[in-house]
Amino acid sequence: MAIHRNCEGIQRRDCLQLGVGALLGGGLVDTLRVRAMAGDRSANKTSCILIWLSGGPSHFETFDPKPDAPSEIRGEFSAIPTKVPGVFFSENMKRLAAISDRMTIVRSIRHNQNNHGAGNHYMMTGAPTRIPVSCGAFVSFHPSMGSVVSAERGAPDGLPPYFSLPSMVRSGGPNFLGSRHAPFVVSGNPNDESFRVRDVTIPKELDDGRAVSRQKLRDELDSLLRFTDRAAGDPVVEVDENVHQAVSLITSPAAQKAFEIHREPEKTRDRYCRTEFGQQALLARRLVEAGVPFVTINNGGWDDHAGIFPRFKERADDFDPTVATLIEDLDERGLLETTLVIVMGEFGRTPKITTLNGHAQPGRDHWSSAISVLVAGCGTPGGQIVGSTDRKGYTAKENIYGPENLVSSTYLKLGIKPDKILYNRDGRPVHLVSDSRPIAEIM
Amino acid sequence: MSVPVRVSFLLSMLFIGVAAAASATESATAVEMPSITFEMDVQPLLTRYGCNAGACHGKSRGQNGFALSLLGFDSDFDFDSLVLQGRGRRVSAAAPGLSLLLQKATGQIPHGGGERFVVDSPQYGLLRQWVEAGFPRTPADAPQLVGVIVEPENRSLAIEENFALTVKAQFSDGSERDVTDASAFQSNDTTVLKVDADGLIQAGSVPGETAVMVRYRNHIAVCSVTIPLTGQIADEVYENFQRNNEIDGLVWKKLKLLGMLPSSPASETTFHRRAYLRAIGRLPTPEETLAFCADEGTDKRERLVASLLERPEYADFWANKWADLLRPNPYRVGIKAVWMLDAWLREAFRENKPYDQFVRELVTARGSSWRNGATVIFRDRPLTVEIASSVSQMFLGVRLECAKCHHHPFEVWSQDDFFGFAAFFSRVGRRGGLSPPISGGEELIFTKSSGQIEHGRTGVPVLPTVLNGPPLELGAESDPRQVLADWMTDESNPYFAKVMANRVWAEIMGRGLVEPVDDMRTTNPASNESLLDYLADDFQEHDYDIKHLIQRIMNSHVFSLGSTPSKWNVADHNNFSRFYRQRLRAEVLLDAVNDVLDVEENFAAMPPGSRAVQLWTHRSTSLFLDTFGRPDPNQDPPCERIPDSTTPQILHLMNSPELNSKLSLDSARTAKLAESELANEEIVKDAFLRVYCRLPTADEIKIALKSLTGLDQRRKAVEDLFWALLNTPEFLFID
Repeated sequence: MAIHRNCEGIQRRDCLQLGVGALLGGGLVDTLRVRAMAGDRSANKTSCILIWLSGGPSHFETFDPKPDAPSEIRGEFSAIPTKVPGVFFSENMKRLAAISDRMTIVRSIRHNQNNHGAGNHYMMTGAPTRIPVSCGAFVSFHPSMGSVVSAERGAPDGLPPYFSLPSMVRSGGPNFLGSRHAPFVVSGNPNDESFRVRDVTIPKELDDGRAVSRQKLRDELDSLLRFTDRAAGDPVVEVDENVHQAVSLITSPAAQKAFEIHREPEKTRDRYCRTEFGQQALLARRLVEAGVPFVTINNGGWDDHAGIFPRFKERADDFDPTVATLIEDLDERGLLETTLVIVMGEFGRTPKITTLNGHAQPGRDHWSSAISVLVAGCGTPGGQIVGSTDRKGYTAKENIYGPENLVSSTYLKLGIKPDKILYNRDGRPVHLVSDSRPIAEIM
Repeated sequence: MSVPVRVSFLLSMLFIGVAAAASATESATAVEMPSITFEMDVQPLLTRYGCNAGACHGKSRGQNGFALSLLGFDSDFDFDSLVLQGRGRRVSAAAPGLSLLLQKATGQIPHGGGERFVVDSPQYGLLRQWVEAGFPRTPADAPQLVGVIVEPENRSLAIEENFALTVKAQFSDGSERDVTDASAFQSNDTTVLKVDADGLIQAGSVPGETAVMVRYRNHIAVCSVTIPLTGQIADEVYENFQRNNEIDGLVWKKLKLLGMLPSSPASETTFHRRAYLRAIGRLPTPEETLAFCADEGTDKRERLVASLLERPEYADFWANKWADLLRPNPYRVGIKAVWMLDAWLREAFRENKPYDQFVRELVTARGSSWRNGATVIFRDRPLTVEIASSVSQMFLGVRLECAKCHHHPFEVWSQDDFFGFAAFFSRVGRRGGLSPPISGGEELIFTKSSGQIEHGRTGVPVLPTVLNGPPLELGAESDPRQVLADWMTDESNPYFAKVMANRVWAEIMGRGLVEPVDDMRTTNPASNESLLDYLADDFQEHDYDIKHLIQRIMNSHVFSLGSTPSKWNVADHNNFSRFYRQRLRAEVLLDAVNDVLDVEENFAAMPPGSRAVQLWTHRSTSLFLDTFGRPDPNQDPPCERIPDSTTPQILHLMNSPELNSKLSLDSARTAKLAESELANEEIVKDAFLRVYCRLPTADEIKIALKSLTGLDQRRKAVEDLFWALLNTPEFLFID
């Protein structure tokens, strides 16, 4: 259907020419800089591991402690010094504190969507929801970062370009980019002895010989006529391409190796923590090694309205060491230079600690005025804190950035121009990111 | 500096003069209008050069502080923006050459949009003259622009041939003016033909047809161009084609115009399988296929279609399609409301509710969202503008939504039309039902005695107004939604029957006469207008009987054509000279797998033995259905269904543990066959009949037999045979 891809009645090329510059507000120099960044060829080897902390992690208990605030804000934990003098994390982020020289913490992201559904959408896609939605909503009005990377970058060896473990993040879908750019969801627990990535390996009941003979039989019996003239637009020809890709994924040693987490030395597996999350992080590293450009780990349970302190004590053992190991391991393998690690959720938490009705233990509620995000790798300077919040952690007050800027930075690092204009299913032009300025400090 | 500019300006005026002088001076002398005015000359240029396009200054916030109304629908706003704002730098009568308008457009100073035209161009001269004259506007009492015509309106063209369009503006005093130079042109399909900025049409290298849209200010006109295949086909060839009903004649007539020939008819078993899948969304059983083949009656196809439509699967299959359009997001309406709407839909198709009644019940729905499923469409669209946009798009094929914020870019619809239409819903009352999406509460939908909607731009209350109709004063006692439903379902309504006829055609033939199916407008003409007219009239004459419409289409000879293209129709994608292959939709495919293997699926929130087409909510998890692109209720719009084939789908069919365990169940057809007394050849036949709905050829039997005897365990061999067949496109596609 080639009709009216463009709602405005002008040629698409004109739009592309017009799209840049003006959006940036900064003028031509910024424009050129953005183009130079996006045009860097090495960007095509880059990848991103997004650790999504679903529910919204507290900034106080992670990377923006407020030791001088009154106790009803400060909380139970103290601030600890990190490897970088003058930079403090919450005491539960001990392992990450020890490698704070390899990451940037952006403490000044803020937006105005204080519920899960809308906050999730804003941070995952860089676009606010088109209509107001609230907490329970699973919505998508715009393609997620992973889907955009899938569409723009692709992956080698028949590998799907966008993985999501163990489920899709609420707004992690492709929207108008189409289902081929939906995440490939690996729902199994890689910490299980019997773990396998779904559908990419031949069922274990089949011995190799039978798998091969099945394929052969299929090829012999597949007699439906193909209309190879491209003008005919035969959808069956597309299927053949998909079969080709599927077979190359199944038979590519490189691709299969990425899935076989069991081949990893016991020591490495232990280092990542023998938890579902730990092994997901390890699997993510293997996927990135094999050339997958975008992996999301959807890590739930961060909506700490109650019981926030005991939960963070646990996270000292089951979250902090895993993320620290991931960054160290990537670094040791020389992959951190090309792998962007982002750790974030939909928002921060309220400064004031409260105990909700019906709960025995105190917690913090949703707070989108101050969000801390961990960014490491792919050219991100180490040992850096970007922006700050006020003394009590209420609001970002210096170098304030929006989700748009974070998402734009991610695209630039992955070799995608954030000021690109896409066309939705109605043929209407849509900006990939409405504010395509990156967070300059992490570029 | 000023001297060469002046010279080029004079030159450029000569250029314009050639085309427009005669008619321009005519109208100028008639009303003493300034020779160049903002509305008449400047705004069209802003449109023609994309300045006021949505990606540029036309987007709502403008571009770099300079905002124009989208495609120039608001002259006052644009004049204000250009002349009064920007501290007088955008246009300067004192120093015309320094006007930003001129300098930016010609790239003399940095412009994000680049150089739109050069200093020597007639366009530059025109703009400069307007600036020098002190930015004249068209006087309010000058003749109004009432329409635009393009000449020619139709044209048949040879490959690589070209011709020029002429555009004329018509004014309220009866005068005309040639505005070709000030118009914008766009080809609907650039592979068929290209059109340049001056309206010169250049045919491409492939035969086909498309429309060229012409825009001058807020008016549009369309030129339809046909590029027939070269070669002579005698008239009697077309006359001799089979005609089962009027549909065939109308398709042959169109093919004749294009110089195309239809493909040969599909085989009997292909037709049989296709009919089952299209009418009721399931595969025929081996017994049904064999019985159909053995039937020697000449009317067996008509009988088949008629009997399929009486089967219980019909309602579930078609309700499932409509659920794509109407099924709400459970996070917005609550799960019970989702169930109510689904039940309402299934009931409507079970009783074959006439389509006008079906729509009337939806549009005028009142009562509880827990009792009357039809009310749920209002709960799902809490804003007046949302329900108005949905109703106009779904049932009238008019995408009014564009006109909410700006003049529709391809149509006559303005914001006045949008808010006039929305006003029919301004008295929808709501009670209860906590704010979605958290609540699953009950909501009451009723009609209030008062209520109004305000125009999005002017803020003035708008009266209910049907499309192309006068504003209506409706008293407190009348229900505006009833009035709207009366107008929609009236036999004189130009949109209503056509949209449904087109939808049903698309469901059966694989593609709409108009695509997208709910986007009907002059600038997106049907590939066969007279066929669409016929279908709509026939549907109306038969009291909006949906089954009748389906039957009419399925009984045409065109429905039975094969999919194999010849050189006479290989590039045809919308004239139905061949059947267009389509992958089975997710639910149908899953049901087909289960039917082939004689196994049942267990869905959450469904009774045992339920079929996928019976699912009432997408919250019922199924990796298979998600992989094959059932609509994701979390997407907006939630109804979008993905027809693409993807690699994960192939991987899922090949390797998924669920499918492989079905293949090897003790209760599955595979095990039953292997353990039966049947000879291997009979097993092969059964497999082919189940999966492909045809008997195998001799060669196929040979290949399959070889593999059946290759493995020592017959059961494994049978599993492998079924696996192989289920993994081929012949299973996956309606051919």
